[in-house]
Amino acid sequence: MTNDEVRDEVRQWLAANWDPAMDRGRWAQLVFDAGWAVPSWEPEWWGRGLTDPQSRVVAAEFAAVGAPGTGHDRANLFATTLHDLGTDEQKRRLIPPSIRGETKWCLLYSEPGAGSDLAGLRTRADRDGDEWVVNGQKVWTSFAKTADYGLLVARTDWDVSKHNGITFFMFPMRQAGVEIRPIHQITGESEFNEVFITGARVPHANLVGEPGGGWSVLQLALAYERRLMGDLARTSRSAHKPQADTDSLVAMARNAGNLGDSHIRQEIARVEAYAAVNRWNTQRAKATTDRAEAATLLALGKIAMSRILHETARVQTEIVGPESMLTGPDNPVGDAVTFRTLNAYFTSIGGGTDQIQRNIVGERVLGLPKEPEPYRNAPFRELPH
Amino acid sequence: MITVEQRDLAEAVADLLVKRSPESEVRRLMADDAGYDPALWAELSEMGLLGLAIPEEYGGAGAGSVELGVVMEQMGATLLCAPYLSTAVLAANLLVALADPTECAEVLPRIAAGDLIATVAFAEPGSARPPDEPRTTARPDGSGWRLTGTKTFVLDALTAQRLYVTAGSGVFAVERGVPGLTVTPLATVDQTRKQGHLTLDDTPARLVGAIGAGADALDEALDRATVALLGEQAGGAMRAMEMSADYAKTRFQFGRAIGSFQAIKHMCADMLLEAQSALSAARHVAAAFDAAEPDRFADLALAQAYCSDAFVSVAATTIQVHGGIGFTWEHPAHLYLRRARTDAQIFGDPARHRERYVRLREAQS
Repeated sequence: MTNDEVRDEVRQWLAANWDPAMDRGRWAQLVFDAGWAVPSWEPEWWGRGLTDPQSRVVAAEFAAVGAPGTGHDRANLFATTLHDLGTDEQKRRLIPPSIRGETKWCLLYSEPGAGSDLAGLRTRADRDGDEWVVNGQKVWTSFAKTADYGLLVARTDWDVSKHNGITFFMFPMRQAGVEIRPIHQITGESEFNEVFITGARVPHANLVGEPGGGWSVLQLALAYERRLMGDLARTSRSAHKPQADTDSLVAMARNAGNLGDSHIRQEIARVEAYAAVNRWNTQRAKATTDRAEAATLLALGKIAMSRILHETARVQTEIVGPESMLTGPDNPVGDAVTFRTLNAYFTSIGGGTDQIQRNIVGERVLGLPKEPEPYRNAPFRELPH
Repeated sequence: MITVEQRDLAEAVADLLVKRSPESEVRRLMADDAGYDPALWAELSEMGLLGLAIPEEYGGAGAGSVELGVVMEQMGATLLCAPYLSTAVLAANLLVALADPTECAEVLPRIAAGDLIATVAFAEPGSARPPDEPRTTARPDGSGWRLTGTKTFVLDALTAQRLYVTAGSGVFAVERGVPGLTVTPLATVDQTRKQGHLTLDDTPARLVGAIGAGADALDEALDRATVALLGEQAGGAMRAMEMSADYAKTRFQFGRAIGSFQAIKHMCADMLLEAQSALSAARHVAAAFDAAEPDRFADLALAQAYCSDAFVSVAATTIQVHGGIGFTWEHPAHLYLRRARTDAQIFGDPARHRERYVRLREAQS
């Protein structure tokens, strides 16, 4: 089946079935029954057996008419992880409600003591008959309040090395022993939560993979997450002009009355060069047929974006000067600059700090040796913390 | 987007230069007054590289900025010592821009054939950029002209058989060895690229193109040469970065390769970002010029400032990563820094290009 045939078919189907006034649940069932919820999955698992690019074609056609319900094969990390590594029983029980949008999920990975070193996590799960009892604290969880399940990594064996004692669960969120507190961020917003887990339970039937095999399940889930982040970055780039913030530096300086200042002019050009070369790197990565070249450029993208955001905010601070001391709705100029200054850390810390990213670039792209890890193979309980 | 043909071209040049421009040869030519190998120059001509920027009707390849750029990348990577930038890039582009059919027909085929070294003398003492109004004067003298003044930072001034000199509002051809012309070598930090100083004292010259057309033609030629220079800077930065990463894998201290220390690893990652970004900038701007995109001048200004800073920064960091050995004359790290610092001045410094960028942006909004 060609991409054009897929496009024609989905268009015809949407023309015949899509009605914005339809009940959401009924629509989700229609999409599910037709195989559009997970187009790239096998027909025996609710899909249509399409290719990955064809699945994006379907998503684009749904988006064009404003219809929800597709793309669970890319955006639903709960379902994609189970599809690849769950048992048949888990798939049949857990996936259909999820890809009909009836259940929601969140991620329970990071902990206060396990950020860059995620494998150092200390949330514990102890076997109790057909269940596991979970105790610990997770952090940086989006959508925790609305989630039915958390993708949970917990330590189940403290006598083996740190990567080998972790187990992956689909953890029920709506139970006693799960307390969710929003995190108050430096920007004043609250997108994330802390999740405190005290004696909460997860059925053994919700263990994904093998006990002690959670690290490799997590790698798959993280790979799907990175693919999703790439999709989101791509679609938001096509929706908005790239780095819209820097487009206004000249106008901002003109408004502030210092566009004639040679220092400000130099700084504007310097930061706009960072944004420009990042665009050109992305263009080159897209155009090349050399996969190593593309991978190198994409690996650099996050460090580059951190630099753009921090430097843009710094130059904006120089442009607005004393306004940057003021905040609140009466001071929109200074308020916006301060927001960007603080929000830049979202990118330079979130999803792997710039420093970890430089390690990854140094090791995976340039082939530099890893830092020695004296405790890599030691039993986890011997790790200093 | 680099095509298969362009990649093949780059690989052919790389293969040639690995054999014919190793460090030992670079060092030999650094100490040589002429500063290039005529046999290699002939090979560059046979490969069609000297005529890349020259239209086919004048014996060249009529290639674009992208082809020229990928060739410059390889030349920059090996610090090739040759009058390529002066002759095959700057002088050739100036003649194309001046569009003087007689001069083009006489000179461009000889450049492409490797039979003529030519250069352009535009800067005057105090700046590497063309002066708003040259102090060098031109006065008519029968069928010809006479030039008086001084020019400096002239690339390959000593080896050039023909010098194109800006004076008044025109460009004039001056032959090597004519009375009233004194060419003095400049003591340059970068010995891989020779420069000279010209004193013109009622020197006989021939007008090329029309009076009044000189400044615009020079601006166009300098922009095109600057596009080519981006490739050289990117190629040099890439090679210096690779040298550093390789060294960080093989140099052991404290029982470990130094590249396993984050202090070194992060420097290498930053160098990779700078060098790859410079390469993307060079390739993008070359393609933008070939496509005559409206934003190409703003892109060039931004890219030239960025690539200058990036090459200097990568070359400087290369010395630091190499530690003590990088501080020795025998190690090539400093040769890249010398080239980088010269490249960051020869067609205007980064601050000047940034200012040009902001002016272009102001004019848009």
